[in-house]
Amino acid sequence: MTAVEQSSRTPAREGSRFHVGPAALAIPAALWMVVFFAAPLLLFFVYSFLTARLYAVSGPLTLEAYRDALTTHINATLALNSLVVGISVAATTVVVALPIAYWLRFAAGRWETVVLFLITATFFASYLVRIYAWRSILGDNGLLNSGLKSLGILDQPLGFVLYNRFAVTVALVHIFLPYVVLVLYAGFRPISPALVEASQDLGANAVTRWRKVILPLVAAPAATSFVLVFVLAAADYVTPQFLGGTDGAMLGVRIQTALTGAGNWPLGAALSFLMLATFVACYALTLLLLRSLRLDRVRFVS
Amino acid sequence: MNVQTRLSIEGVTHRFGRVTALDSVSLAIEEGELVTLLGPSGCGKTTLLRIIAGFINPSEGRVVVEGRDVTGVPPHKRPVNMVFQRAALFPHLDVRANVAFGLQVAGIRGEEADGRIAEALRLVRLEGYEQRRAHELSGGQMQRVALARALVNRPRVLLLDEPLSALDLKIRLEMEVELRRVHRETGATFVYVTHDQREALALSDRIVVFDNGHIEQVGSPDEIYHAPASPFAARFVGDANVIAVDVVSAQGDRAVVAVGGIHLDVASRVEVGAGPAWLVLRPEVVRLSSAHNGGLRGLVLDSAFRGTGFSYRVQIDGLAEPMKAEIAAEHGAPFSVGDDVSVMWESSSCRLMPHTATNVDYHQSDNESAD
Amino acid sequence: MSVTQRSPVTFVVTILALVFLYVPLAVVVLFSFHATGALSFPFTGFSFRWYEETLSSPEFRAALWNSTVVALSVSFFTLILGTMAAYGLMRCRPRLRAPLAALFFLPITLPGLFVGISLLVYFARLGVQLSFATVAIAHFVFVFPYFFLIATAALDRLDPALEEAASDLGASPGTVFRKVTLPQVWPILAAATALSFALSFDEFIITFFVIGPDSTLPMFIFSKLRRTVDPSINVVSTLLMAITLALWAVAFIFVLRAARGRARRADALLLGGAS
Repeated sequence: MTAVEQSSRTPAREGSRFHVGPAALAIPAALWMVVFFAAPLLLFFVYSFLTARLYAVSGPLTLEAYRDALTTHINATLALNSLVVGISVAATTVVVALPIAYWLRFAAGRWETVVLFLITATFFASYLVRIYAWRSILGDNGLLNSGLKSLGILDQPLGFVLYNRFAVTVALVHIFLPYVVLVLYAGFRPISPALVEASQDLGANAVTRWRKVILPLVAAPAATSFVLVFVLAAADYVTPQFLGGTDGAMLGVRIQTALTGAGNWPLGAALSFLMLATFVACYALTLLLLRSLRLDRVRFVS
Repeated sequence: MNVQTRLSIEGVTHRFGRVTALDSVSLAIEEGELVTLLGPSGCGKTTLLRIIAGFINPSEGRVVVEGRDVTGVPPHKRPVNMVFQRAALFPHLDVRANVAFGLQVAGIRGEEADGRIAEALRLVRLEGYEQRRAHELSGGQMQRVALARALVNRPRVLLLDEPLSALDLKIRLEMEVELRRVHRETGATFVYVTHDQREALALSDRIVVFDNGHIEQVGSPDEIYHAPASPFAARFVGDANVIAVDVVSAQGDRAVVAVGGIHLDVASRVEVGAGPAWLVLRPEVVRLSSAHNGGLRGLVLDSAFRGTGFSYRVQIDGLAEPMKAEIAAEHGAPFSVGDDVSVMWESSSCRLMPHTATNVDYHQSDNESAD
Repeated sequence: MSVTQRSPVTFVVTILALVFLYVPLAVVVLFSFHATGALSFPFTGFSFRWYEETLSSPEFRAALWNSTVVALSVSFFTLILGTMAAYGLMRCRPRLRAPLAALFFLPITLPGLFVGISLLVYFARLGVQLSFATVAIAHFVFVFPYFFLIATAALDRLDPALEEAASDLGASPGTVFRKVTLPQVWPILAAATALSFALSFDEFIITFFVIGPDSTLPMFIFSKLRRTVDPSINVVSTLLMAITLALWAVAFIFVLRAARGRARRADALLLGGAS
């Protein structure tokens, strides 16, 4: 059956070429993306090799901005913060989202749609609102402290919860969790319950089942969402401003202030492209890792 | 009645990249015929059907419908209609709107359209199903709608792309009866693609056997079955033993061949010279006996009950593959696994085929996947 | 059908995650109705005073209007260009498909910060005044990949035999799209358009760099956040959430419509199999 379908579908696609120049339909969108996405990035890249003037640049080409970016001590600290926050957020969201996606796929039954809807709905609760919500909860006079105080549990505010990396991490996990649940759920969808049952039938306990069957099957979506969340969290510049304090300051904020505050475009550009290079390296490493484990393309047979 | 060529395929070759799917195929189909294109998957039959429909433009050659060259004409401007493998009913339209689609696009409305739609639905016995949507129909009903949807346009040629392959055996048999009836009642010209030889034998006026992008044989079901032109056709249509033999001597319609270490006298309908050849033999002409009275000696490997008799596989010394034999039996199995038997057949019931360029590499396992 | 297993650990994690996700949002909504301006327990009574105050504020009204105009134009352009691109790409040569899809998909993998600052520098270089137009242009870059992914997934799911059948029955390519393709995918396209609107309406990270002197709703919240504790933030936040959530719900209904007759509704949440 599968073979028949395959063989009949492939030529079907092949044969759909009777439209005249269908790629032409994509031209307006492609132009838009080239002019307002690719070209600006390219220009920005060129700027990273120029000399800074206030809110402007001038020639000649130089590596000054990169030297500045790499040798300033504060940048290293901020980069480390970004790295730590990015990895904590990505790891937490993936580790939490895996059991949720599993539950939705294999155990939720008729609650599947409702719970998935509830989780994805929070994806649409505004980004800034969540930052604000966490600030109102974790602040010195925030709900956590005032609540605990009014219950008589505390008389001193808990100082460690706000204006540090922890607060930033919590808020960013809140922001990205629904997204990762959605991606992992999509990854779990094609896995037949029979596969899980087969592994149980063959004597695998819960740990072996996860290690040998489930994780390999969802490795690709889990790894890609890990990297994507890492990148988006590490480059966040708003959350640390409101929740990070000095301890939780991140590179994104520095890039933002270099551009809009200090007006040093080449420095902002150099920092951005150093960060981007790291991200690209992460994407590439993940792909390589998945490929070497032969988990990049798991084909499900039904 | 003056029979005319309704559709002719002239030297059609098609390549997908470096793969040649069709290799200069020519074929003429007469008015009112039901012709099946039969072959294993990947043999080019579906490609040819899609070329006739206009979904694929052939690399070379022409498609001519009633004398008009339609090569290069887009599918929506061709006077042919198709019944798709899995019906391809429009899920957002009900049965009536599906059937009305072609008429509507052609600007045929009002009473004429109503009449033709009602007639088409009556033809496929689906009166009263007008308001249903595809998901409310069974597989067989969906194919009937697809048939009505195509026929309502009165196509010059109706193309059917394995329309029954997704159905259960029982429904498939019923649909075969329906298709024969519809073909009789409409007198339309059908080109029917299938990989199921049983279906082809049951439905066709003529069968075109395809293999590897070329036509192996064209003929009536009777001809194809009783006079296969090649080892492939013999194996693909019905079942057959294809045995490699050496022709020792040949004279007229008789030949002596060496097989399994002994010499046998066989009938040959074509000229053969001395040298390697294929001996083709249907399982039902093979006879087994327990007495050692000449013929080939063999060992029964497997025995299976077939209702009207038993089918055996017999290992014969010097033969690469076991010989298949169908033995009619009313009570009990005449032989058991492990029996020593003699294998014989009427010398006129087998066919000798000389090696040719296309069959010399023939392997018996080629069509394992076919039904 | 689906086999349901018992899995207590994953169930507890799911419940805790729901609590974690909803409590902060519930707090914001709750305090938007607080009688006093205080953002701390104990809660001293319900009132609509902050709503009245906020809704009558001209700043808020201007921001709401601006956000609506930007989001409307962005979702309109995304619908048209996105549908064209997805439809065209599905039908074009495989060799062209990969690079074009990469170009359309790439912005999703890039932090908004980079998109925002590179556009800021680009507009400055070209001497373009920052305005709603620049915001809308930037939002398009941000929103387009989502729309494109969903539209491509929806079109990809269609049985190609249906379009062939229509064409075989005499429909020209335009008619095929109008009578066969569009009726099957329009609910998904509508959902994706609602999603585009919501994404644009809520966008801050890129907007921050490319907006001129005017304000959008997220910019309005941002400016308040920067100052001090202002009870109206709760109100604006609640309203912003309500609007984007309402749009998500609309999108969801459209998708459920598209999933009608299919066995699994949860598929609908993946918006036609995107991601």
